[in-house]
Amino acid sequence: MDVREKLNILADAAKYDVSCSSSGSNRNTPKGGLGNGCKSGICHTWAADGRCISLLKVLMSNACKYDCAYCVNRRSNDIPRATFTPNEIINLTLEFYRRNYIEGLFLSSAVIVSPDHTMELLVKVAKELRTVHKFGGYIHLKSIPGASEELLHEAGLYADRSSVNIEIPTDKALQYLAPEKNHASVFRPMNYLAERKIEYNAGGSFSRYRPKFLPAGQSTQMIVGVAGETDLQILTLSNGFYRQQQMKRVYFSGYVPINADKRLPVITTKPPLVREHRLYQADWLMRFYKFNYNEIVDAAHPNLDLELDPKISWALRHPEFFPVDIQTADYEMLLRVPGIGVKSANLIASGRRFCKIRLEQLKKMGVVMKRAQYFIYHPDTPASLRRLYPEMVRPLLVAQTKPQQLNFLDALDSKPALLTAS
Amino acid sequence: MLSIQYDSTFDGFLSVVFEVYRQRLDVGAIVPNRRAGEATDLFLQPFWVETSEESARRLKRAIANAASSDVLAMLDIVFRSEEDGVEMKILTFLRKLFAGIDPNYGRNPASPEMLPLYRIAQSVRLEIADMRGMVRFSKTSNGTYFAEIEPKYDILEILTPHFRNRFANERWAIYDSRRNFGVYYDGHSAAEVTIPNLESVKAGMPPDTITQLWKDYYNAISIKERENPRLLRRCLPVRYWKHMPERDERNQLAAACPPQIMRPSDVAKANSFARIAAR
Repeated sequence: MDVREKLNILADAAKYDVSCSSSGSNRNTPKGGLGNGCKSGICHTWAADGRCISLLKVLMSNACKYDCAYCVNRRSNDIPRATFTPNEIINLTLEFYRRNYIEGLFLSSAVIVSPDHTMELLVKVAKELRTVHKFGGYIHLKSIPGASEELLHEAGLYADRSSVNIEIPTDKALQYLAPEKNHASVFRPMNYLAERKIEYNAGGSFSRYRPKFLPAGQSTQMIVGVAGETDLQILTLSNGFYRQQQMKRVYFSGYVPINADKRLPVITTKPPLVREHRLYQADWLMRFYKFNYNEIVDAAHPNLDLELDPKISWALRHPEFFPVDIQTADYEMLLRVPGIGVKSANLIASGRRFCKIRLEQLKKMGVVMKRAQYFIYHPDTPASLRRLYPEMVRPLLVAQTKPQQLNFLDALDSKPALLTAS
Repeated sequence: MLSIQYDSTFDGFLSVVFEVYRQRLDVGAIVPNRRAGEATDLFLQPFWVETSEESARRLKRAIANAASSDVLAMLDIVFRSEEDGVEMKILTFLRKLFAGIDPNYGRNPASPEMLPLYRIAQSVRLEIADMRGMVRFSKTSNGTYFAEIEPKYDILEILTPHFRNRFANERWAIYDSRRNFGVYYDGHSAAEVTIPNLESVKAGMPPDTITQLWKDYYNAISIKERENPRLLRRCLPVRYWKHMPERDERNQLAAACPPQIMRPSDVAKANSFARIAAR
């Protein structure tokens, strides 16, 4: 089997892993070597599904010994299998990198022989790239649950980011769908790596010679819409990841059906793209907008509103805070106004020290007035709009279905024949 | 009123501003000389200002003092947008800045003169960030990596340090075929170059074998059930596709019917449907 065929098979098998970021590491180009890290991350291209491609995302092997119901690579599936040799992956990475196709390598693998054996292969690739080829680009390694601590530790020394996927938000459902896995086995490598990272960063020596340990931290991923979990459960869990394991990202992957299985939704199910999008919006609110997870969803509203984004939903549930006076409101409050993002909130906060912010300027700053107009108070607001009535505003904000232009000729065709005297 | 012409460089533009103050010129328009052939305003008298490094340096120091070095850097970025009339926008801002009415004027990003400049700078910076990823090198027979780009804004000079750091030990060249100049890095230092007959140079290059692997990878990594052409166009504007091998037309036709290789997800899904049909 040649490299081209292996690449086709193993890239296809890796595509359900949504992690794409290449940010968080600013590794310098090694002396006499190739490549560096870019703190903000760089997207190199976008696939036909609109997801960014910044890393060469492949599996080491897809010959898995586990049998997880939702996974394309499960043991019981009759599919083409392939395994890269470490050298093939290293060559591909370097050749792609030199042509500026990619930002680095994302290496994952199905479990072959044993978790330790698999992890050893992954670490070998990363180690050779860093030491033999003096590669300074981004490396994202999967930690395999069940691998030994020594191997995890070594992985942390060579990789920029590591991840273990939690897959299903509830332990019971995970054990039902993936008999070989449970939450405890996933949390063990996560916690181990998080603790080592804290150790490496302790001591206050910020010398550039200090060894780097997972400079871009950890991430994880869960499948949405396969086990009947609520958004409250998902966001509670991801909040825990951000707080306790110091995760940089939690990814959500709307379930794309591949396998016909009694335990799964029927195979014709459409991926829950809107729900996934709303979850990411909620995730952004938690990470950049200083929202707490239990403000976005709570026991009374365990699921996100699919028609409106979580920020508007929160605002409509709390009319007592609105309209906000943009001349005097706290920065934190500006961030909570629908239609105002981090950049425009910064502009408002720094600009209003010098002059009053008028409506005209807000538009030029990039504030989405379509949404913001109902929630802000400024000198140009008419007196009648100085109170927020959620039940009046909601229908104005819900996206209306666009009226369709009828094709005149179609209408003629489908028209019943004229009544004739018969 | 004068229609002032200069040599299209940032230093040239700063010299214009310097002369406007020194000679108390009555400015109607500032036109870079790359637009020399285009229709001009008949009622404006043409006036040429020679670029002077000394006056540019003095003006730069004055801007950094009156506002900040960040603002100076922003003006440079804004100037690179090459937008119609951007010179007059910068001049209006500088006039207000040097009038000294408000000592804090240079720090206010929301002033009516600064805000439009701020927005232009935002979109130029966006393209710089995008271009870092969208440059596509191909390996030539002598081991040099060559890339052709056609950015909307004049950003090649700003991109150079990024690639110089990243590919410090390679030989590479990036060519802006829209503005007809490029940068060549020989493993030690970068220099500006022009290629008079780019087409024939490109025709002489052998096809790069790795490109096919990259196209395969690109097609394999997309999830069919989630296809979203609108999102793709928003993230990756069509004007960049020309120089990206993975987006060229022939590759997109091939994406529908891959070579004699079965992809696991297609096989698994077909098997699942077959099993349901058999029931």
